[in-house]
Amino acid sequence: MLTIKNLHAQVEDTPILKGLNLEIGPGEVHAIMGPNGSGKSTLASVLAGREDYEVTAGSVDFDGTDLLDLDASDRAREGLFLAFQYPVEIPGVSNLNFMKAAINAKREHQGLEAISAKDFLALVKEKSALVELSGRLRDRSVNEGFSGGEKKRNEIFQMAMLEPKFAVLDETDSGLDIDALRIVSEGVNAMRDAGRSFLVITHYQRLLDHIVPDHVHVLSDGQIVKSGPKELALELEAKGYDWVKEEIA
Amino acid sequence: MSAANEKAHAFVAGLAASAGLAPLAEAGRQAMTDLPVPTRKSERWKYSPLTPMLVTPVRTAPAHEGWPKDVPTNPIPGLDAYRIVLLNGQVVAEACDLPVADGVVCIPLLQAMAEGRIGAGDEDWSAYHTREWVGAVHAAHAQDGLFLSLESGVVLDRPVLVHHHTTGENVASCPRHRLQVGANAEAEVVLWSSAPEGASGMVNAVLEGKVGAGARLGVDKVQHEHGAVFHLAHEHVTQDKDSTFRIHTVTVQGHWVRNELNALQHGSGSHTIMHGAYLPKGQEHVDNHTTMDHTVPHCTSSELYKGILYDRSTGVFNGKVFVREDAQLTNAYQQNANIVADAGASINAKPELEIYADDVKCSHGCTVGQFDEEALFYLKSRGIADRAARALMVQAFIGDVLEGFGQDEVAQEVEGLLADRHGWM
Repeated sequence: MLTIKNLHAQVEDTPILKGLNLEIGPGEVHAIMGPNGSGKSTLASVLAGREDYEVTAGSVDFDGTDLLDLDASDRAREGLFLAFQYPVEIPGVSNLNFMKAAINAKREHQGLEAISAKDFLALVKEKSALVELSGRLRDRSVNEGFSGGEKKRNEIFQMAMLEPKFAVLDETDSGLDIDALRIVSEGVNAMRDAGRSFLVITHYQRLLDHIVPDHVHVLSDGQIVKSGPKELALELEAKGYDWVKEEIA
Repeated sequence: MSAANEKAHAFVAGLAASAGLAPLAEAGRQAMTDLPVPTRKSERWKYSPLTPMLVTPVRTAPAHEGWPKDVPTNPIPGLDAYRIVLLNGQVVAEACDLPVADGVVCIPLLQAMAEGRIGAGDEDWSAYHTREWVGAVHAAHAQDGLFLSLESGVVLDRPVLVHHHTTGENVASCPRHRLQVGANAEAEVVLWSSAPEGASGMVNAVLEGKVGAGARLGVDKVQHEHGAVFHLAHEHVTQDKDSTFRIHTVTVQGHWVRNELNALQHGSGSHTIMHGAYLPKGQEHVDNHTTMDHTVPHCTSSELYKGILYDRSTGVFNGKVFVREDAQLTNAYQQNANIVADAGASINAKPELEIYADDVKCSHGCTVGQFDEEALFYLKSRGIADRAARALMVQAFIGDVLEGFGQDEVAQEVEGLLADRHGWM
């Protein structure tokens, strides 16, 4: 599904990713943990196509397509989704018009006709129920006046609407209380299937109690320094990152 | 005579003296020699110098030969309205459709003069010609326009569309309109100006309005002119107690536009809404000068102007709000927001508040920014292409101006024209 080889990336002139390798198969859930400044969010931004980040070496293959060759909107149309750590408020753009434009952009890319109003509303109803997003929130301007938890639920709602092949969740657990964490996780779990993969970026093990990963990786100073099964997350929670750093030193 | 004045007088030498509005024309002619031709040195014209307009002299069009077949008299699909149409400042009577009803006088201005409906000495409410050289030029050469008078309590059943079309090269038009809305009467007016590719010259329009006690006047004003027309417009509306005056001004397209809008509240309990939007591109220039004058207590005003400036276009917003000494308990709001979409574009924005009363609520804000790159990336990250994402943001930005139009059909047509022009979906 996704193969990252020797990825180097920088912001302005500061190198952040320094030779990152990662292979994610279809249907797999991978978690990336790591201390602040290790490059977790940079990885999410580089994958999604944020222009402030410059890739200086390496490659990212997405189902046979050179991902780095595409701009952000093309990546999304190819089936990549980024759940933002800080979802953006866009006053005046209604959440539903936004989703309709996004769905139709993808359908056009796939050679399909624009979605009918009836089908669209049915889809909205189904997917918003998944993350308990009320009609009041759905119909408002994108994220405007949403609480932290509502914004994250809106991210998962958008993911459910767009049905990506591969989703990156960038610290989706940050700012969530226990209930919101459960709702968001259930939304993600409902979307897990054999053809869809996830990359879950988090600081804390608690998210991984809800979204149980197949593989856990530790990112440190721009490289993946340790990989293991889901139990690795528990070990990190108990011992901290210094333990890994010492091990690789 | 200075070189600038010589140029200005050569510019207007081909204009025909106003035929039916003689006393005003005489005052205008006198004022043209007394008043200075505005230059960059004048604060009010600093960002809209007339120099580019004065390069090529203009002339009054000869008597029209009927409404052009390829131009719809009503450019707004679905709008059910009375209609007065003007070609280069002249009313084309056979293409008009005006109401005949008790308590309603809706006729061409020259007819109203001829019928003695405008009293001697009452030809001019705005005194524009005493203040501005361009006002004097208008007065000296004023042509024809709409005369609408509603007796008290009359509610006009349909809006009146005033469609002014400019055609030909280096043509000067000086349309003039008068709206008097009696006590508790109500009227909606759509002011639409158009011009085809290749048209050029000057439109110098004046609208005077009086809104009676408890009356309502709403105006949807749309400027959609191709070609190279210099468009000067002045609206001057006075309000009696408990009246409402609303005007939405949208410049869809215009080579060079200067809108000067004045609202004066003379009666307490009045409410004024002045909203507008401008989206110039290429090297277009759009200037909105507004004056909101609160002279009496217990009045409110809401002013909202939004602009998006593309390419190498330039914009001006100057919003004056006066709260006079007696205008206690005024609630005045003014907001001007601008997006400078391209590096070559610019906006000169200047809110001016002069408050002499001490128990008032006045808020104002003025912003100049660029597209929110973070929001753009967010939209793009969901698969929406760059151009479509920008269009969504632009529509959202000016949406609160467009939604306030009196006539939905006008708002829809404006949105459609903007979508075509800017490549929105």
